Amino acid sequence: MSNQVQLDQPLQNRTGKRKGASDRSISKYISYLFLLSLCVVWVIPVIFGISTSFRSQTEVVSSGFRLFPEQWIFENYVAILNNTSTAPILRWLMNSLFIATTHTFLVVIVISITGYGYSRMNFKGRDTLFFTLLGISFFPGVVNLIPSYKIIDALGWVNTSWAMIIPGLAGMGNIFLVRQFMNGLPKELDESARVDGASDFRIYLSIIVPLIKPILIVCALFSFTGSWNDFLWPVIVYTDVDKMPVTAGLLLLQDIYGNYRMIGQLMGSAILAIIPTMLLFLFAQKYFVQSINLNSGIKG
Amino acid sequence: MKKKLNLAPVFFVGPHVILFAVFVLLPTIYGIYASFTKWNLMNEPVWVGLDNYKTILFNTESTFHTQFQNGLKNTFIFVGLSVPLLIVIPLMIAVALEHKKVKMKNVIQSILYIPGLISISAAALIWLLIFNKQLGITGNIFGSQIAWPTNQPYAWLIIIVITVWGGVGGNMIIYRASISGVAKELYESAELDGAGSIRRFASITLPSIRFPLIYTFVMTTAGAFNVFGQPLMMTDGGPRQSTHVLMMYIRQLAFGNGESIAGMASAMAVLLGLIILVISALQYYVMNRNAA
Repeated sequence: MSNQVQLDQPLQNRTGKRKGASDRSISKYISYLFLLSLCVVWVIPVIFGISTSFRSQTEVVSSGFRLFPEQWIFENYVAILNNTSTAPILRWLMNSLFIATTHTFLVVIVISITGYGYSRMNFKGRDTLFFTLLGISFFPGVVNLIPSYKIIDALGWVNTSWAMIIPGLAGMGNIFLVRQFMNGLPKELDESARVDGASDFRIYLSIIVPLIKPILIVCALFSFTGSWNDFLWPVIVYTDVDKMPVTAGLLLLQDIYGNYRMIGQLMGSAILAIIPTMLLFLFAQKYFVQSINLNSGIKG
Repeated sequence: MKKKLNLAPVFFVGPHVILFAVFVLLPTIYGIYASFTKWNLMNEPVWVGLDNYKTILFNTESTFHTQFQNGLKNTFIFVGLSVPLLIVIPLMIAVALEHKKVKMKNVIQSILYIPGLISISAAALIWLLIFNKQLGITGNIFGSQIAWPTNQPYAWLIIIVITVWGGVGGNMIIYRASISGVAKELYESAELDGAGSIRRFASITLPSIRFPLIYTFVMTTAGAFNVFGQPLMMTDGGPRQSTHVLMMYIRQLAFGNGESIAGMASAMAVLLGLIILVISALQYYVMNRNAA
């Protein structure tokens, strides 16, 4: 019995190896085929959008679908940037930029300070408070949508940038991440500083903040793109064309340019709205694709 | 001395607690309260007890009942179509990218990730042109004579396409990170035993990434129930309200033209919230139990 097993063993190994190897080269081609065809489908809309923004209306209508323009023109962008009344794209982009930057800046301050409180300070009921707030924040956000509008209205923030800057600061997700990260830092760091007479604020600012930079950068990037791309909330709180961010503005464009009369301009506007987050991705790619974004997941 | 010790945490934790109270706790409680009232967003809400819920759930003659039923049905259709794709496709990508001989992994990953950073309104403007009968791909290359956004099943198809295009990136990153954390020796010994790649995937990869799978499944589903932007931009709920999701009705009732019916909308929002909670809990419970 045991002899047989020993005899069989090498043979099985060899066939096993061979099967594995051929299997691997087949699966290599399947993997490539799958990934490359996805990549093609994934980039076509972006290329198509960009190239259409450089085509004239007559060319778009007469020559149908083309991936690249017959003739590159810049008139669409000139027209977009000159439009300051019905579709003030430049104004919308500025609004979005102000909203997203201010929001991100405040997020970083709030989550680092609050995270410090929940991770490095000792007070009665600390963890109870933290987990209570975390638990409440899991309640589906759809329920607080309508009253949130009422609160923003009561604060006089409808049609102002604050409507989009402030409410998002109340979230618990990023604070959870920062707290986790801080809990991983050795306690001796702040204890020795405290012995030297440093205040909490001093420890926070000169010891902790420099150490938690990686997580703060990740949270900042996702806060910026999240704020820039938010759609449902701005569609509700902005009615003033001059005050709205670009995502809400593009919804209006569909009507203004109606029935695809000015397609080049429509595409140009969409492309302009995409550029800031693309640039951010180019420069900070490694932070985006870390698995740390486990939390920032899927927004509707 | 004692006082000083007690006050410091207030400065660190306090500001956020206030923000949380004003922008999360208060609106959540008010949202539940408003669902029991008749409210037009302007005047004080008037308590009506369970009337809104009765109307929405049981009054077959009421338009609110029809809207809720239709909106919920369409939301479930969206969840049912999009969630499996948003789990399976990212998983396939992650596995394919993990293949030893595949090169340019990071370039491929970036290309597939980037649409997730594009706002739904910008993305929809571009995709609508691609699906345009006269000017896009469908008419010119596939020879389709049908206007896709206004005919089923194409209306759902284009909503799902843009959702998958923009949505695979996040889960892909999570799966990639978890798969690369699985011990290489497991695969090597399985390969020596003659296990094919499908077998290795089913008996090593899947069990090893159980937690990220549960997590992404629950989060993706909850996110999908809140769908709003894709149908609003791509089909505006058409044709004949067949892609009009619940979130669109809620917004329309509370903030649409004419007098606001915020109480009724709040009741619909609470019902949607409850459905999300129950389904998340069920998913977590079932998956955790089956895997254990």
